[in-house]
Amino acid sequence: MRVIVRTVSELCITVGAVMVLFVAYVLFWTGVRADGVMHDQIDQLHRQWSQSAAHPSATASKGSGGSGASGSPASPAAPAAYHYGKPFAIMYIPRLGFTWNKPVLEGTGTDVLKKGLAHYARTARLGQVGNFAVAGHRRTYGDPFKDFPRLRPGDAIVLTDGTTWFTYRIDKGPYKTVPSDVEVINPVPRKSGYTRPGRYLTLTTCDPEWGHSHRLIVWAHLDSTQPVEAGKPSALRR
Amino acid sequence: MYGWIWRHLPGNVWIKALISLLLVLAVVYVLFQYVFPWAEPLLPFNDVTVDNQ
Repeated sequence: MRVIVRTVSELCITVGAVMVLFVAYVLFWTGVRADGVMHDQIDQLHRQWSQSAAHPSATASKGSGGSGASGSPASPAAPAAYHYGKPFAIMYIPRLGFTWNKPVLEGTGTDVLKKGLAHYARTARLGQVGNFAVAGHRRTYGDPFKDFPRLRPGDAIVLTDGTTWFTYRIDKGPYKTVPSDVEVINPVPRKSGYTRPGRYLTLTTCDPEWGHSHRLIVWAHLDSTQPVEAGKPSALRR
Repeated sequence: MYGWIWRHLPGNVWIKALISLLLVLAVVYVLFQYVFPWAEPLLPFNDVTVDNQ
């Protein structure tokens, strides 16, 4: 009898300890890991971009286009293919913090979302006509979109793909919807107020902060572009 | 359970304590490396996309 009581108590304590460890893992350790991984992704992008800047011929053969910088700013030319799980851009949102910058990766699998923001694979490419839709974690894995509700119309969302700076301006949001509302990432998103095709951007994350019953959305339009040689866009200057 | 493990560890008290510590660390490592990454997607924090595509 005594042995049974003792074993059951020990099992209960063990289960409790494992739960505490799991909470620590979700709250803390995923963030530590994600910060490291996102940092690596951004480093990888910078390396890639400096290489293609140094060897324009290599870039051309890969098709990622050295002409992007000299091309017309309205149509950043010669795009490289996006590969699932690979980073292709860096996003800056001054409202979320002056040092806030995250890599954007292709695809929205859970493995991709652990490494940064995730581009919906079937939506438009960065800066192109259509809707460039991006999802990110609200909580855990570095909390990239923790302050999502603080975004306001007029806020800048700046992205770079190594050749061009894209400055988007938020028009509407945060808009709360249900998870099945796929029309929010349509080329002309429903409920966004946009009526004509254009160069749009959509960000999605979960709501409430630790839940999954709803989604928060913001919509933005492409405000301006400039080649990276021209320096950072005004939205990123202090 | 823990008493049984303790009795079956070799050596004196200090060696037993050292082995226990290593065992605990091994368990924590396995949890963080394999068990928690498996269990975490079962929680809703990954649902940040519309329609989970």
